[in-house]
Amino acid sequence: MSTNAREIGRKEGSFEREPARRVFASELRECRYDFKEGTDEKSPTFVLLPTGERCNRVFIVGTLTEKQRQGDQNIFYRGRVVDPTGTFFIMAGSYQPEAMQQLAKIEVPAFVAVVGKPGLYRKDEASTPMVSVRVESINVVDKDTRDLWVLDTATRTLDRIEIFKTSTEPDVIKAKEQYPAIDPAIFRRMAYDALAQIKI
Amino acid sequence: MDFSETADRISRKFQKSGQTIDPKKIEGKLRRLIEEFGVQPSEAERSVTNDLAKEFNIPQMGTGGGGGKGGGATEPKKIADVSPEEWVTIEGKVVALSAPGSPAIAQSGIIADDSGGIRFVAWAKSNAPAMTVGLWYHIESAVVDEFKGIASLKIHSGTTVKESGTDGVLIPSTVPIVNLHTGVGSVRAKVIQEWDASHERMLQSGILGDETGTIKFVIWKEAGKEKLAVGSVYNIFYTLVDEYNGRLSLNLTTATIMQDDGDILVSGGNVAVRGALVHIAPGSGIIKRCPVEGCNRALSRQNYCPVHEIQPKFIYDLRIKGWLDDGEKTHNILLQRDVVESLTGITLDAAKEIAENNPLGMDEVFLQMRDRVLGRYITCHGREIDNRLLVNTCERLTFESSEHAALLNRAGGAP
Repeated sequence: MSTNAREIGRKEGSFEREPARRVFASELRECRYDFKEGTDEKSPTFVLLPTGERCNRVFIVGTLTEKQRQGDQNIFYRGRVVDPTGTFFIMAGSYQPEAMQQLAKIEVPAFVAVVGKPGLYRKDEASTPMVSVRVESINVVDKDTRDLWVLDTATRTLDRIEIFKTSTEPDVIKAKEQYPAIDPAIFRRMAYDALAQIKI
Repeated sequence: MDFSETADRISRKFQKSGQTIDPKKIEGKLRRLIEEFGVQPSEAERSVTNDLAKEFNIPQMGTGGGGGKGGGATEPKKIADVSPEEWVTIEGKVVALSAPGSPAIAQSGIIADDSGGIRFVAWAKSNAPAMTVGLWYHIESAVVDEFKGIASLKIHSGTTVKESGTDGVLIPSTVPIVNLHTGVGSVRAKVIQEWDASHERMLQSGILGDETGTIKFVIWKEAGKEKLAVGSVYNIFYTLVDEYNGRLSLNLTTATIMQDDGDILVSGGNVAVRGALVHIAPGSGIIKRCPVEGCNRALSRQNYCPVHEIQPKFIYDLRIKGWLDDGEKTHNILLQRDVVESLTGITLDAAKEIAENNPLGMDEVFLQMRDRVLGRYITCHGREIDNRLLVNTCERLTFESSEHAALLNRAGGAP
């Protein structure tokens, strides 16, 4: 019944918040392709994950290992959040004052849960883009939450890899075009390694 | 634009009174009115019909013949069969009257027969006799039009309204909530929730549910109107079904409502969503509510209630509004006081203490709650209504080593 209600909700064009995707650092790092849906200035932008899912928002839990204040006029904070597979680059500026103050307050190292928007940033036209997450909220959490996130993210990643194999979804096809050199099977290995790092 | 259908209809009308008129000629007249003069199609049809009636000396086409002769009368149609842009003759019982919203309207309400009900409007200019709730009427040559997708019967100066003398008892058949459509409908449903009234003219609003779904309802203040009791089942006949932002809602103000002894197992009763709490919205934490009986609205910081103004003797309450995200979909969730207390470990009394003694006041409660629950995995059980999950119980997710083991197998198994 709930699925039914959900579909009706969608059909009626009511506001749908973009879900926060679960993705490991070493997959997100590989993103090179972003796009905008719609032509409106406020249309959401997405980065395309190599496993074939569009991603406007992410939920990550990891260890904040470093943070740094930057800028004179426009102060902003950069940080590094580490998961079992790699590093997320996060930033919070004066446009996200609450997130920035939260980040400023946290003492490293700490387990943090971050909700934010991933984006591709290039130093110049020629350089390879870097993926960075603009923080919407950041909060100190416990190790249990981190472990739950690893399970959750491994599940979602394996789901995506399975869909990738057979699906003809436009996003999957796009991912095959955009990331010809990446075999999503490597993310399966990555998920396994991430899971193996949790001590039972 | 194609006028042939309308022209044929007019032509047929005249055929009944023994006149043959070339539909081409009628079409030409219609086209001129509509295209050159921008006349509404229904008005053009009326005008052309009257014009021709005059030309052929037939006594007032649209209004039918007096004295039971029924000059241009057509067979009454079933109300369920009428469609917009149609001239119809129906026979039905007036089941509801509502206060006209404009001096141009003499009466408005709902008329029904055994096939269903339809809204009607009698224009002041129509000089139609005032109709009475509970009596049957024969309404000849009314126009059906459509506004915002809702069909409505217009009684204009060319319409004849006569009490028909029928004395039928009308027992409307109720439909499941999922099958309701805009216009008029009858349901058997249970009141599952009551909301803060958002307007001072509002008597009650909330959610009704049956085995198939749920729907919002409103009752406006009017003499003799009573609130429905939460948890009770009602037979609701001839309620207005409106649509706003693509969602249906019921306006029960003029409906006939009868309490029913039975019970209904409402659908959507127990949804469980597991995910991460990714956002806690402003207005969460400790809030103040208006103490006026039946109001209960959340007050502003200055203790201002949108209806009852400043209320220094407010009542404290706890709530969390937020987004629970499972990675595929984000659910808007609302936690009430007891759920907030068990999830955050902060009781209402403790929150009151903080709100009144901490320099940050109510903000401090918000911050402490946020620090304890934002970014955490929880499972919420509740009812999903209008895309919002009203949470009855919720618990924190715990790490299951069996799940961990299963995932290791899945990731490590043969590709």
